[in-house]
Amino acid sequence: MVAVRERQKAKTRARLVEAALTLFAERGILATRTADVATAARVSHGAVFVHFPTRDDLVAAVIEELGTRVTRRLHELTERKAGVRQILTAHLAGLQEFETLYTRLITEGPVLPPFARSTLVGIQSAIAFHLADAVTRETRSGSLKKMPLPMLFNTWLGLVHHYLVNRDLFAPGEFVLARRGKDLVKHFMKLVKA
Amino acid sequence: MKTCIACGMPMEKPEQHASGDVKKDWCIHCAREDGSMRSYDECLVGMTGFIVKSQGLDEGAAREMAKTMMAQLPAWKDHKPAQ
Repeated sequence: MVAVRERQKAKTRARLVEAALTLFAERGILATRTADVATAARVSHGAVFVHFPTRDDLVAAVIEELGTRVTRRLHELTERKAGVRQILTAHLAGLQEFETLYTRLITEGPVLPPFARSTLVGIQSAIAFHLADAVTRETRSGSLKKMPLPMLFNTWLGLVHHYLVNRDLFAPGEFVLARRGKDLVKHFMKLVKA
Repeated sequence: MKTCIACGMPMEKPEQHASGDVKKDWCIHCAREDGSMRSYDECLVGMTGFIVKSQGLDEGAAREMAKTMMAQLPAWKDHKPAQ
């Protein structure tokens, strides 16, 4: 009986997180009310607070789930000993699946609680983990310009985030990484190659 | 995919596990020379250093980010940092 109740509880929690993932992407994190999440998950509003005592707890759980899914996808898409170009391509492919919600996170990040920022830093750390090796190898072999890793990485992030935050200008009604991703990788590599 | 319980990084091959032992849930970067898992403080220093080295964050800001990230990892979920 207890096991059945626990499984049911876990299922409801998962439904709430999925519903919030969708609504946060569609409407924005700050603009989504817990009542809307309850409706979308087909549970009572009170039930939300059984699983997440405060709204911040729900936001934390959802952002943590986004971070887990993005980093897992990044690791799956990045092969060992991949080159810088392949890693940047995998980075965009990993983000593409979560483009809308990731964009919300980078746009709203500065006004969200600290755990939202740390999830973003965690996602960046996942890609930096793969990039560090590749940049060292390609710099040593002379195929990449010498520059501090943070400068290379943050220049790339700046470029990608600019396109994401302004996706309505670069790809109205479309996913900007699908439309512009190849060009971003191609032109960035031109900038950093020796 | 298996991830290190102390730093969250992926461990796809045995050699990425501490001492090459797949029964250990922590990675080579979070292991001491004898294969045991590093302490919270040692891992915090390591993670802070990685964030600074790869992303260029201010050290204090990186440390706070690392603390928040570590609080969600299995090895440190119940850890109470010293004030």
